[in-house]
Amino acid sequence: MVIPWQGFPLDDLIRRVEPTGNAKYVEMTSLLDPEQMPGQRSAVLKWPYVEGLRLDEAMHPLTILAVGLYGDALPNQNGAPLRLVVPWKYGFKGIKSIVKIRLTETQPQNTWAIAAPREYGFYANVNPEVNHPRWSQATERRIGDFLRRPTLPFNGYAEQVAGLYSGMDMRANF
Amino acid sequence: MAGTITPSSPFPRWMPFVPHKREPYPWLKPGIFLGGLLPLVYTFVRASQGALSANPIAQTENELGLTALIFLVASLACTPARRLFGWTWPPRIRRELGLFAFFYASLHFLTYLILDQFFDASAIVADIAQRPFITVGFAALVLLIPLALTSTTESIRKLGYQRWVRLHQLVYLAGALAVLHFIWRVKIDLSQPLTYASVLGVLLAVRLVFWLRKRYTGKAA
Repeated sequence: MVIPWQGFPLDDLIRRVEPTGNAKYVEMTSLLDPEQMPGQRSAVLKWPYVEGLRLDEAMHPLTILAVGLYGDALPNQNGAPLRLVVPWKYGFKGIKSIVKIRLTETQPQNTWAIAAPREYGFYANVNPEVNHPRWSQATERRIGDFLRRPTLPFNGYAEQVAGLYSGMDMRANF
Repeated sequence: MAGTITPSSPFPRWMPFVPHKREPYPWLKPGIFLGGLLPLVYTFVRASQGALSANPIAQTENELGLTALIFLVASLACTPARRLFGWTWPPRIRRELGLFAFFYASLHFLTYLILDQFFDASAIVADIAQRPFITVGFAALVLLIPLALTSTTESIRKLGYQRWVRLHQLVYLAGALAVLHFIWRVKIDLSQPLTYASVLGVLLAVRLVFWLRKRYTGKAA
């Protein structure tokens, strides 16, 4: 997926609040409003939606809070007014309609890891060599393309972000 | 011309299911034939308008698979409908419903083979061998092949009715595998596949009850 997002680095926001040394993670929460968001009326996931990043991931310059795409203001369905975009995690972690951001000392409980811990972890760094328990993630089709293409480690941003995970077992921390 | 009994058929010659003139609901078979093509037409129309989501290939694949399942469940509803409500028309379209299930299941598979995987043989073999949801879906399609091939009246005659019925009981297994394919495929929200699983369960349970009654009381219900 190659989407032209408009936004600003999350790092800019985090620096403004001057995190203390205890801040290890960032936890974000989506708007809970079943009136506007009818999907939340059924308990398929634990609402409100919660997502998290390690502080160094959150402060990486590629991580942005998006306010628009394709040159226009962010449409509601894409997460207006503010959503997270972490380009090296494909579409994962892109929490929409953020209403709360907290710095935490312990690893946040992200919604998908609660819902299906065997299938979704905290990091969601798509590893093309490791299958999702139920399907392959070795290839992908970009929006607008016909043919699939091989999925790259870190969505092609390995040079910029692989260092964040050096020494970590990426199979255990998926 | 009083007395002559040669009404000209109101149906054009190209129609494969020209109704018997004395059957009730003469439009039933042509209706199911044309109606069965509507989901495909609907998908084509939206494809031409670019209205099949951001991922039209996946959307097409999902819609064709769901349509196949709906026809399969509908074909399994014909016999219970006759036995429970005394309706005679559903069994008359059972063959057409079953053939449409096979038709849409084949298109679902062809979409996967061509549009989704573009003949990537190694990926397809790995999918069928290693991913249970694909294994059971593929098995369901394979089970439908002999049923489609022996769907003609001539096949019933050739095989003998008892053996033909035995063979066509494979459809229960195909239905169960198709529902399992759906359950194992969804990411988290099971409401839709479980709805189909429940309907299928009821249809099979009705058969079981009738079968048990026949067996222990000797009476067909």
